[in-house]
Amino acid sequence: MAITPLDQLTAGMVLACDLKSEDGRLLFRGGTQLEERHVELLRRVGVTGAEVEPGPQTLGPEKLRQIEEYVRDFFLYANPDSPPIIAMFRMALEMTAEAVSRGWELPDANTRRASNVEHMHDLFLRGLGTPETIVKHETELASFPDIYFRIRQVLEDESASAERIAKVVGTDMSLSAKLIKLVNSPLYGLPQPLDSISRAVALVGAKELSILALGISAINYFRDIPPELVDMRTFWRHSITCGIFAKILAGTQIGLSPERCFTAGLLHDVGRLIMFKKLPYASTEAMLFARENSIPLVEAERAVMDFTHTDISRPLLEAWKFPEELSAMINYHHDPMDYPNPQESAVIHVADCLTNAVEIARGGMYVVPGVDERAWELLGLDAEAVLNSAAGQYCEQIDTIMEAFF
Amino acid sequence: MGSLFSNAITLRKSVGITDAEFVQLRDFIYEKCGIYVDIKRKYLFESRFSKRLSELGLPGFADYIKYLKFDSHKSEELARLFELVTTNETSFCRDGKQLEAFQDKVLKETLDRQRKAGRLELNIWSAGCSSGEEPYTLSILLHETLRAELPRWRIGITAVDLSRAMIERAREGVYGDYAFKTTPDDIRQRYFTPDPGGWKIKPEVSRFVTFQEMNLNDPLALKRVPRSHIVFCRNVVIYFDDAMKRKVVSAFYDNLLPGGYLMLGHSETLHKVSSSFKPVYHPGTIAYLKEG
Ligand SMILES: C[S@@+](CC[C@H](N)C(=O)[O-])C[C@H]1O[C@@H](n2cnc3c(N)ncnc32)[C@H](O)[C@@H]1O
Repeated sequence: MAITPLDQLTAGMVLACDLKSEDGRLLFRGGTQLEERHVELLRRVGVTGAEVEPGPQTLGPEKLRQIEEYVRDFFLYANPDSPPIIAMFRMALEMTAEAVSRGWELPDANTRRASNVEHMHDLFLRGLGTPETIVKHETELASFPDIYFRIRQVLEDESASAERIAKVVGTDMSLSAKLIKLVNSPLYGLPQPLDSISRAVALVGAKELSILALGISAINYFRDIPPELVDMRTFWRHSITCGIFAKILAGTQIGLSPERCFTAGLLHDVGRLIMFKKLPYASTEAMLFARENSIPLVEAERAVMDFTHTDISRPLLEAWKFPEELSAMINYHHDPMDYPNPQESAVIHVADCLTNAVEIARGGMYVVPGVDERAWELLGLDAEAVLNSAAGQYCEQIDTIMEAFF
Repeated sequence: MGSLFSNAITLRKSVGITDAEFVQLRDFIYEKCGIYVDIKRKYLFESRFSKRLSELGLPGFADYIKYLKFDSHKSEELARLFELVTTNETSFCRDGKQLEAFQDKVLKETLDRQRKAGRLELNIWSAGCSSGEEPYTLSILLHETLRAELPRWRIGITAVDLSRAMIERAREGVYGDYAFKTTPDDIRQRYFTPDPGGWKIKPEVSRFVTFQEMNLNDPLALKRVPRSHIVFCRNVVIYFDDAMKRKVVSAFYDNLLPGGYLMLGHSETLHKVSSSFKPVYHPGTIAYLKEG
């Protein structure tokens, strides 16, 4: 990166790396936002320049046109007259422009086509494995973390006291640390950070906290997915983003538990992780097929494998004896209205779509799947207002929450 | 933050297609080439066709459907339509696992049988060859397998596709980096020469391959394809419905010589489509044998 000379340094610029004086003394850490007095100080100690982060650039009409075209491509599959889709489109435009003004380059056509994982080997050839046999192969092979079962037990026990729940969760150090970080994140907006599980139980509620704990302990199970197939950070970022949106949307509804929705959002694509594990080649084919045909991944899965990741999550969550209402949200997130009590699955459905929309500005590769009209009506939301505020909160929270988990 | 984008930017850019019009268009496409489009892709089609509609100066889809059916330029338009509804994703040496099994087992067995019968000839049909990467790959595999023996063989690879544009590209035989994404470097070095447009296939590879524009939904055309020892039809029937799959697979069956093999794409299967073939399992692929 180039050095910006002293006379061009202005307040508001952000240092790209630590800044030292001539004699090696640390003046300011990288990441510091310069103020008028800092610049003054630099002049006094005789610093001649500094490396600063590229500032936002103004985008010309040609660039804006390119951005529009780029973003539009991701909305080809969805109903262009649907209010939430229109709101998501505008949101994706703004976010992509923001990213580009900060130096992000729009991926070109070739990067947007799938990469090559030729050496991957599926355990089942098409027509030879059903979702049930595939899941069985998994659940017979590996056992679920102990802590998961203990949490489930307290969850099922209506009479379990808050202390008991705190105790069970507290036995797993890394789990408690994650929970505390999560509750201290902007997601909960606490005025004072808390430092113990018992305080978290008191604040969030015993049942709610155990549901979060259940979700987090389930995540731990999936650490050994072949990393070349998908970038695991990207995968979990998608999951966490969906969780954030689900929690926010749950807050607009009467009688929905934000924690339950967050956890379901976090785990809504677990079926896909089993697919990556058991059918890596077919999974790649599905990704390729989705991109080539501008269709959502779930449709590509159906074309390539005859079943989708929710067909996998169904027997999987059953084998784990996952709480019924959580399973339903996950299993029905692509067709929420097929579930008799669709409000919660509708939340995950919209949250997932929203997640796809905000990912466009970060190099997401898949088209926005579209929002089921009846599901949207059921939630009774004002598209523009709710989605924009949700996107704003997402931008503020996502990095901290990612950090809490990884 | 104020918006950088004008409020005049709307998501809808094209004229709408009604469900009834979509069904008409979908049925027309299906009848012509067997590609079946789910109604879920309605909006996708709306925007994909809208450019063509405005080029033709047609106000709506009803007029476009009329144009396709009755205009004096309809056969030209049909070719254009095919370009709009096909997906041409392909690359050299695609699905290496399958090709390995093909080379070690299927091809070896076929060549041995031909040698024993004293007939040093081999016909391969590449159905849905897109821009030519697949049939050229097969020709390269034959070079790799037969080596010094090659000049004594009579080899014919018939490569067909619905898309005129793809057949033209295939005949040209010049490829950019993307076509080599699944290809070992030494293969590219040995069988291609640098070209301003990327890499050009060498004549010794291309001379075995004949390209033809052909619709797999045209039974008479299929009958004119020379009888084959091996048929490759990969990542094509995935776009067809079951009835069309059956039709095409039975045409392959009729075309194959006894003892011949059909190779499908990684995610395609004859499960529920045909029981005439005998599936032969290899690591990473199934070869479908016509017994006899
Ligand atoms: C995805 S490409 C597959 C290319 C190559 N076989 C491979 O596997 O890499 C599918 C091809 O099938 C062709 N196709 C689709 N329908 C067809 C039909 N009815 N007749 C002939 N070709 C067809 C398309 O034009 C397209 O080029």
